[in-house]
Amino acid sequence: MGKKVLCVDDDPDIRLFVVTVLEENGYTPLTASNGEEGIKIIREEKPDLVILDVLMPRQSGIKMYRELKTDDSLKNISVIMLSGIARRTFLRSQEALTEFGNENVPEPEAYLEKPVEPEELAEMIKKVIG
Amino acid sequence: MQKILLPKILLIDDEEDIIRVLSMSLRSDGYDIVSALSGKEGLDVFKKESPDIIITDIKMPGMDGIEVLKKVKEINPETEVIIITGHGDIDTAIEALHYGASDFINKPVRDEALSIALHRAKDKIDIRLKLKEYTDDLENMVKIATEEVKRKSNFQTKLIKSSNDGIVATDDDWKIVVYNPGAERIFGYSRLEVVRKMRIVDLYPPKIVGAFKSEAENKRNDEGLPWREITVLSKDGENIPARFSGTVLYEDGMAMGSVAFFQDLREIKRLEKELINSERLAAVGQTVAGLAHYIKNILIGLKGGRYIVDVALDKNDTDKLKNGWQAIKRNIGRISDLVLDLLTYSKEREPEYENCLPNEIVNDVCELVEATAREHRIEIIKDFDLSIHEVLMDPRSIHRSLLNLVSNAIDACTSDEYTDKRWQVRVKTALEKGNIIRFEVKDNGSGMSDEVRANLFESFFSTKQGKGTGLGLLVTRKLIEEHKGEINVTSQQGKGTTFTIWLPYEELSNTDKIAERI
Repeated sequence: MGKKVLCVDDDPDIRLFVVTVLEENGYTPLTASNGEEGIKIIREEKPDLVILDVLMPRQSGIKMYRELKTDDSLKNISVIMLSGIARRTFLRSQEALTEFGNENVPEPEAYLEKPVEPEELAEMIKKVIG
Repeated sequence: MQKILLPKILLIDDEEDIIRVLSMSLRSDGYDIVSALSGKEGLDVFKKESPDIIITDIKMPGMDGIEVLKKVKEINPETEVIIITGHGDIDTAIEALHYGASDFINKPVRDEALSIALHRAKDKIDIRLKLKEYTDDLENMVKIATEEVKRKSNFQTKLIKSSNDGIVATDDDWKIVVYNPGAERIFGYSRLEVVRKMRIVDLYPPKIVGAFKSEAENKRNDEGLPWREITVLSKDGENIPARFSGTVLYEDGMAMGSVAFFQDLREIKRLEKELINSERLAAVGQTVAGLAHYIKNILIGLKGGRYIVDVALDKNDTDKLKNGWQAIKRNIGRISDLVLDLLTYSKEREPEYENCLPNEIVNDVCELVEATAREHRIEIIKDFDLSIHEVLMDPRSIHRSLLNLVSNAIDACTSDEYTDKRWQVRVKTALEKGNIIRFEVKDNGSGMSDEVRANLFESFFSTKQGKGTGLGLLVTRKLIEEHKGEINVTSQQGKGTTFTIWLPYEELSNTDKIAERI
């Protein structure tokens, strides 16, 4: 039984891809298709890592990330952002939100831009949670 | 006028005393008197002096009065000739009348009788002069009027000829009598082929012929047939777009003919088309960035699928193989949809009219999205007008447009942040007056902001964050417009959106009607 990794993405193709990569590398995959569902699973399953899409309908990855990192019981869970938008764009949005909300949210452990090669993703997961 | 007041009188008598007495008497009355002592001399004086009245004795040596009368009348038939005869000489008097004498005075000449005869002669001259004046005037007036009419008619002919618009006029039997060069350019027939050879039924579209005939039957005279866009069939079989207006002409309540005006819309239509094309090209340019994003997502899906298939093949894992293959298939589908959308949008396309059942097409669309809807707990409600029968429309346009709208409605529900809603997508059809079917797709999903709504049809625009091409509504609108329909949207943020499409249809099995459609 490997470490639990939750993949939150609204695109079933991406979920399938990430799940396969996780299984191939000995992790236990969990999935959610939006931020709301993701938070629920995190509270129930306490995964070691969350692989999170930024742009999703209903509850975006940005909102879910901030919820995760401002919850004392959850903020130690590592996060890899996996997104179609550029890292720079995401970080700028985080800065803006930090300033606006006057709350300090740390940068994610890693940020990967889609498309990502399976080896690259596997290496990054290993680097973050071992 | 002076002449009438003071006529010149020529006295002819062989007796000098009579001449002298009469001259004195007449001069004192104000007449201008010349005299001669013989018929021959009288004629010479007549030629020289042109008197208005001649008083001549009938019995004279040499040339007698009758002879003088004949010669004078030959020279100027309007001269009044008064004959002096012997008492009771009826035969001579009759002869003199025969040659045109005006009056007779018996000898001996009494002043009173002379005065009466002169008065009568003077009146005659007077009347004749007036008559001549009237006649001359009348001829003159007729000449002026004729010239004016000619000038006006010339002007009108030139006006009609030089008009850019086609002008066609008929007589009361609908036979064409006026057909200007503007009409030649539109219809393609020459003037010689049309004027007095064709009736409107040979030239106008049937609906225009019908409109004229019913107009004439109902004796409507108020505004005529208002401007409308029509298509005329030219001599070469080309469909020419034109604007038409016409009116039946009446005279004393009876139809005396008709006139029709045609404006050639070919150039305008061409420019419109050019404008639309250039706008479309600009829009295509704008969207490349957005499209690239969408294509990247497809690529990600394909690459992921390939990786999953590779892994599954390595491990002989059939379930995984199936999943990977599904992912690849799904993304191939997205590519083919995208290419189709792009092709539809970048190309001009004429609707392909076929007999079809609109409700059935809409039902197909609902079934296509049923699985996705159920997955997201969205209820699809079908509300079809069962009086809609089999009609002539383009089934592909309906299917494509409705599928786009229903898919959008489902997306609007899945992206809705109010998760405690019971999402519904209502798909409605309804028959409307004037051969029109209304299609309505109503959702209670996320709705749109005013800004989003303003951008809906503007250019490639997507709120689906790289998961939409931004082409769907553009394609839909294009299909609707090509089908001569209309599309409208109302939306309220957080409450939902309603898209409505109105599409015209033709009744069945009369494919000719399409060509004649006005």
